[in-house]
Amino acid sequence: MRVVTTAAVMALLALPLLTPLPGQTASVEGRKARTIDELAKMYDSTGCKECHEEIYKDWEKSLHAKSIYGTGRTAATIKTTITVGLMGWKHSGVKKPEDVENRHLAICTKCHLPQLADATDDVAKEIVRNVNIFMDPKSGDDARNKAEQQLIKVSINCLVCHQRNAITHKWVDGFPQKNEVYGSKEGSHPDPGHPVMKKSPIMSESILCGQCHGLGPNFELENPSQCGTLYGSYLWAYRAEGGQESCQECHMKKSKLGHNMQSYNDLNMGKSAVDFQVETLGYIWRDGSKMMPQALVKIEMINRAGHSIPDG
Amino acid sequence: MPIPQQLGRGDKMGRGPYEKSGIIRDNGLPPNRPVQENFEIPYPAEYLKKDGKSVTNILDHEMTVDIELIYMPFGEKDSGITWHKVTKKITLEKGGV
Repeated sequence: MRVVTTAAVMALLALPLLTPLPGQTASVEGRKARTIDELAKMYDSTGCKECHEEIYKDWEKSLHAKSIYGTGRTAATIKTTITVGLMGWKHSGVKKPEDVENRHLAICTKCHLPQLADATDDVAKEIVRNVNIFMDPKSGDDARNKAEQQLIKVSINCLVCHQRNAITHKWVDGFPQKNEVYGSKEGSHPDPGHPVMKKSPIMSESILCGQCHGLGPNFELENPSQCGTLYGSYLWAYRAEGGQESCQECHMKKSKLGHNMQSYNDLNMGKSAVDFQVETLGYIWRDGSKMMPQALVKIEMINRAGHSIPDG
Repeated sequence: MPIPQQLGRGDKMGRGPYEKSGIIRDNGLPPNRPVQENFEIPYPAEYLKKDGKSVTNILDHEMTVDIELIYMPFGEKDSGITWHKVTKKITLEKGGV
């Protein structure tokens, strides 16, 4: 409740100011980003590197750092979402890529770029343009690289988890404020853009990750989509059956991966997730009068992860 | 893998996330529950008739089997990541009645 009070006071103080405080973003003033560059600036996390260098380096290796570009597959899926999905559906309002608005792209960006909610439809259109250039085999290397560089400017960076999505229950804990960062402690924070450090009640809880790593269809969308179902599996197949560990315990602490929180692409994560036992037996099967030599290979696997494997 | 239902209706699997809603079935590994897979592999052998009786001529009494658990994010073995690999030599006894 202390967070609620402080947050409300900070918001009231911020409103009358004509010039934003350092680090305060346009959205605080009710203005939305109109370009990818503006959105990148609004969620600029590069300053975090100064003090949290190792963590920042770990994050740079993660897929979170290239959430709408991904391994290339994410950009490809965004493209097919537009061409096969949106442009193919009678009632979507999208006849051509230029028609795509934020509400359409939310199928992807609800998780791959949640901060798009703080941008105008122009940013959705700019993302679509760049994805199309990036994915077009006719694009020259230069154009492709430029598109890639533009897409990589916005991602699931520090401020998405440690600010924007750091509070799930906003009526209880207050709305995240742009001059605050959320972690495990309260106090001052030596960053002029984010001078206040607040404790997020969910920073070490699985629900933080569950905001994106999926329950199933996103019914709040006009046309529900479903990317991951992992958090649903975690709740109903793991926690409900007595499992006690959190996402962070396995993907950050035990794995020692920290903010490079890999899953399937990390060999050690895969190895440690599944117990794999093999027993074999050579024998001769008698099929009537026919003797048939056979080998039996018995495999037992136990998934030690907190969710079904594979899932996403 | 949770096999997604196309647009939350019918028996067809959805393709992209834009048309996935619901799950038809999950053929992945559930957490904390043992899953067994058995494979029966025949040894190389010739099946002959000798004096009216069936005779089995086993060509090799030893078999080496590689058992791999491969994560295939794109559904292809070549681009997969091997999580576990076990090699077993399985030997048949010679002789017997």
